[in-house]
Amino acid sequence: MSEKSTPLLAVLQLLRKYNLKSTEDILRKEASLGDVECESLDLPEVELASILTAHHTESDPFTYELAYDGLKKFIENSLDLYKYELSTLLYPVFVHMYLLLILYDHVEHAVSFLEKFGIEQEDYYQEDLKKLSIVKHKDQIKGNELAEIYSTNKFTVQLSRDASSQLKRYLHEQKNSSVIINIINNHIQIEVHDGPGRTQAQVRATAGGVLGEPMKSENRTKVYYGLLKEPDIQVLPAPVEDEEEVEETPDKPKKKKAKKDNLFMKKPKSDPNAPPNDRIPLPDLKEIDKVEKGKALREASKRVQLGPDSLPSICFYTLLNSGHTAISCDICDDSTLLAVGFNNSNIKVWTLTPIKLRGMKSAEKLQDIDREAGDVLVRMMEEKDRDTCRNLFGHSGPVYKVAFDPFKTMLLSCSEDTTVRLWSLQCWTCLVVYRGHVWPVWDVRWSPHGHYFASSGHDRTARLWATDHHLPLRIFIGHYSDVDCIQFHPNSNYIATGSSDRTVRLWDCLTGSQVRIMTGHKSTIFTLAFSVCGRWIASGGSGGDMMVWDLSTGGPAASLPPAHTAPIHALAFSRDGTVLSSGSLDCTIKLWDFTAITDESPIEETLNNLIPKEDKYLLQSFATKSSPVKGLHFTRRNLLLAVGTYESSA
Amino acid sequence: MGDSELAYGSSLTLDSMKVIAESVGIATLGDDAAKELADDVTYRLKVIVQDAMKFMHHSKRQKLSITDIDHALKIKNNECQYGFIQPDSLPFRFASGGGRELHFIEEKEIDLSEILSAPPPKVPLDVSVRAHWLSVDGVQPTVPENPPPLSKEAQKLESVDPISKLSKPSNKDSAGKPICGKAARLKASESVHVKQLATHELSVEQQLYYKEITEACVGSDETRRAEALQSLACDPGLHEMLPRMCTFISEGVKVNVVQNNLALLIYLMRMVKALLDNQSLYLEKYLHELIPSVSTCIVSRQLCLRPEMDNHWALRDFAARLMAQICKTFNTSTNNLQTRVTRLFAKALQCPSQTNNETGPSMASMKESEKTPLASLYGAVQGLAELGPEVVKVFILPRVRWLGERVEGALSGIGGADRLAAGNLKHQLLKVLAPVVRQLRQPPDQPEDYKRDFGYLGPSLQQAVSKIRSSPSCSTAGGAVAVVTCTPPLLPTAPSPSPSNISHTTKTETVTTRNLVIASSTPQSPAPSTPPPQKFVIVASQQKPTQIQSSSGTGHIVVHSSQPTIVRSQNVQSVVVTSGPAPGGAAQKVMVVGVQPQHNQGQVSQAPVSVVAKPVFARGGGGPQPPPELDDLSHLA
Repeated sequence: MSEKSTPLLAVLQLLRKYNLKSTEDILRKEASLGDVECESLDLPEVELASILTAHHTESDPFTYELAYDGLKKFIENSLDLYKYELSTLLYPVFVHMYLLLILYDHVEHAVSFLEKFGIEQEDYYQEDLKKLSIVKHKDQIKGNELAEIYSTNKFTVQLSRDASSQLKRYLHEQKNSSVIINIINNHIQIEVHDGPGRTQAQVRATAGGVLGEPMKSENRTKVYYGLLKEPDIQVLPAPVEDEEEVEETPDKPKKKKAKKDNLFMKKPKSDPNAPPNDRIPLPDLKEIDKVEKGKALREASKRVQLGPDSLPSICFYTLLNSGHTAISCDICDDSTLLAVGFNNSNIKVWTLTPIKLRGMKSAEKLQDIDREAGDVLVRMMEEKDRDTCRNLFGHSGPVYKVAFDPFKTMLLSCSEDTTVRLWSLQCWTCLVVYRGHVWPVWDVRWSPHGHYFASSGHDRTARLWATDHHLPLRIFIGHYSDVDCIQFHPNSNYIATGSSDRTVRLWDCLTGSQVRIMTGHKSTIFTLAFSVCGRWIASGGSGGDMMVWDLSTGGPAASLPPAHTAPIHALAFSRDGTVLSSGSLDCTIKLWDFTAITDESPIEETLNNLIPKEDKYLLQSFATKSSPVKGLHFTRRNLLLAVGTYESSA
Repeated sequence: MGDSELAYGSSLTLDSMKVIAESVGIATLGDDAAKELADDVTYRLKVIVQDAMKFMHHSKRQKLSITDIDHALKIKNNECQYGFIQPDSLPFRFASGGGRELHFIEEKEIDLSEILSAPPPKVPLDVSVRAHWLSVDGVQPTVPENPPPLSKEAQKLESVDPISKLSKPSNKDSAGKPICGKAARLKASESVHVKQLATHELSVEQQLYYKEITEACVGSDETRRAEALQSLACDPGLHEMLPRMCTFISEGVKVNVVQNNLALLIYLMRMVKALLDNQSLYLEKYLHELIPSVSTCIVSRQLCLRPEMDNHWALRDFAARLMAQICKTFNTSTNNLQTRVTRLFAKALQCPSQTNNETGPSMASMKESEKTPLASLYGAVQGLAELGPEVVKVFILPRVRWLGERVEGALSGIGGADRLAAGNLKHQLLKVLAPVVRQLRQPPDQPEDYKRDFGYLGPSLQQAVSKIRSSPSCSTAGGAVAVVTCTPPLLPTAPSPSPSNISHTTKTETVTTRNLVIASSTPQSPAPSTPPPQKFVIVASQQKPTQIQSSSGTGHIVVHSSQPTIVRSQNVQSVVVTSGPAPGGAAQKVMVVGVQPQHNQGQVSQAPVSVVAKPVFARGGGGPQPPPELDDLSHLA
């Protein structure tokens, strides 16, 4: 009691000293202090002051700088074993000190603090610091995106047991560390793991997220990353061999053990990692879809095997006269159609083959057609109305993504006008407008099996939709910033999202919960691509950096050397999963040896050998003539198609 | 990141806030209020820009645009900035005065009636898709759609600093060579053992290409030649073949100049032109081969079998223009190219005796064989003339008297070829000198003065000068000078000192009237059989009295106009058509220069003049014609 009430008594004495009677009474009443204690108020003047200032340290600007400097020195002087892990603590402490300084109105101190220690922070945090540095008033903290993220969430830091005990000892010994202790208690989640401290490379591999590394517990859920069993298709003349190839090749990049399993057991149903086929209800294949699938399999049998010695040919589609207006593009699965979304709300669809795009007959004429006829699909199309290019009008803002459905009868587009639109490629009109997102929609993707699609946007959510529902089936919430890109897992059971908070997350479509969170990217993630086998996911960021993640562990499988100098906006895996291609705004297309990337990272030591032999991954780089690459697509025969806009030097 | 001020941003100043406050009518804004506002506005602006960045990224751009800002405002529930569409990147102008510096947006008053009466702007081209092979089995083909395998900068670097090539890994530039991956690796491993500084080995395809191109260039099929030259002028990735090409040209010139094979020399010069025009090539390393060849074609004693018949003058003109182009492109302070070339030509004009005595002894004392041939003199004059009026002034003008004596001697002589040559030389001298003399001398032009100063050529020069003087300026008082573009001698190089000319023009104000000069050039040596088509050059330009035009012409648009024959003072709004013959290079070039209408001269009738420009040299589907100068030579091919 006496301990606790010392500051109170000090305040009482102060009030009495300045003869503030009524306030004193109120305080006494509220603190329920007896008269006895009040009578014995005879603290010496010096102690009174020290008690009051001690209570005041939090708002004393000079303690912050000292405390941070002390912490920095402690970390620098600690053993190499703990040094790098502990250094991850510096950034969150730094940020919260800055915010506290702002909160206590020490703006000048905050600015000088930022200038003094800001440049020492890791390079990938610099951009955030710049964003944070514009906050210069406590009113601005509320409402600022980044400041709110920091003040309302806990930054996660992973420390080994030894490192954390070292830290604790330091904090106890130090006198003016109360600020740091408070910050750690309030804003930092320290997760202690058993085992040795991590090396610099290991720390760096997973650092970079806005709120640090993920908790270990967040990545424990099992992910069924295997592929679904392909339905048998009878339409094929010789389907057996083709199918075999399709089912085998995706497994190539996997570990040899898994491959052997598949070789011996023809039915991949027994793949332990594959989800049951009915885990997510999938639409039945229509007759025409089966024809399409059959075609795909036949094409696939003529596929060129790619590898370091046999690089793919690249056909580059240049959009002329488009300047900066063409901003998104997609090529349909059988590589016959190209859709481009424009800045001016327009969508254009080109045919890439001599077959012209035909419109559907009017309703009156459709009545006359015999619906039982075998060629009803041909008959219902207009004879004369053909074109090599068609426009789709309807959006009222830039079209950020267009996507063909797997059977190329429909097209999805998302736009700044917050809507997702579904278009028919037969009557060339808009079918549905999906409203739900509150702010611009950045990305939309079809499920590989059709029917479902997913969208993501500025409202920090990703949503799962079915084409026959006007409301989303699932809303995935968890990202701290814009969800910039989204991608369906090949088995349609999962959705991956990449965000401005520099994390890649994997969501389960069935439960709607987050099953993986992957940190390590150092910049905003703009594009994602699942490997053909479904186990790996590649991501490309605004800094030109690329990473490959292992879904089974949620850890980075490889961090590719930063070969691109501008944001990567296109990633594509070859159909046999051996080559990864990346296209960037720096007007280059690069080919990566994906077999090497995944082979060299056996599960046990994913983290150990990231650095060596990175140069081996890059196979070849092709420069375009001032045409930023905006889309990549591998045809079924492994020809790489690239789309870019020619931008003249002016 | 080192500069913390740069790293963590700037903010609006109090002064800005006060200026803005003034502009909306608040005269006195307190410092505290301004500070408060400045901080808040800075914060909000930065937040908006940060959001706009997201839109920029998702539009797959690296340059922020105004629409991004609009969208960022929209998601903040603010209204967009309507009517703020700006094609330029930064619409701000800067002004300072009274101790204050201002950035402001320049808003011009727009006359609506002008917009309504103006012809509608061109409809922008529709977006179209074009496919090409970026790579075939991992090898990038060198087609114009792909970037050149070795950029011009890299070629330049290589020629300036050959060491840089050694430091680079040897197999980096193998992308351009059609070798498959395995062979490339083989080659890379091979080059470890063999020390090779510069490998000039060509692939089979390149060898074939070289063979085809060189054959076509000097062959008899004009269509194929046109294609070959087009390929030389446009195709990227030729740099590996450049050494061969240049050697081919220089050897070809050496052989054909001895054999007096005019046609082949012309073809070779056209190759040079094509190589010069190729944007992806940097020729500096090969100038030691090209310059002697070109200068040979300018000043050689004899270039054709029948000097009295063949139009070797055109070749000299053309080669002289090439030389000027080379000088303009590659002249640096280290190689002193232009100086050396000028010295070369000046030497040709040097009369052994003339150096000692300006007035000179009579020509009779010299033996015929000692004299520089008239044809070479012509070439030297032409070569110097292409280098600009300054050069003409310094190197030709002092020699006029002597040249005149040579011309006089030849004209009075008996040799037909000599007579023709002398005629041409005289013609050329007058053409070249007249504008320069006009600048130098004050009117009135007295024939006697000219005779005294320039000797034999004096009277003719006086006529030419007075003709020029009268043509542009007298008819329209206060007129700017009509210009025949790009032929340096005819450029109005500097503000004329003559008071009658543009005396009333002030230094700051650009007075423009529109003049039309129709100049027709008669060929220097009219071929007996086929008179070459006449060429009209109609050029008007806006004179800027304060601006001194560069002495060398703009290079690719080259116009011959020896005599301005028709001079009309019509006020045309615009229309400048220049047809450049450019014998070796690209297709016909038409340049249209709009001349701004001047309001204070509305009283002048604005009768439009219909102008028919005859295409001098058109390339295309319908069988390309040789340039007119070379028309009479085609039978040689």
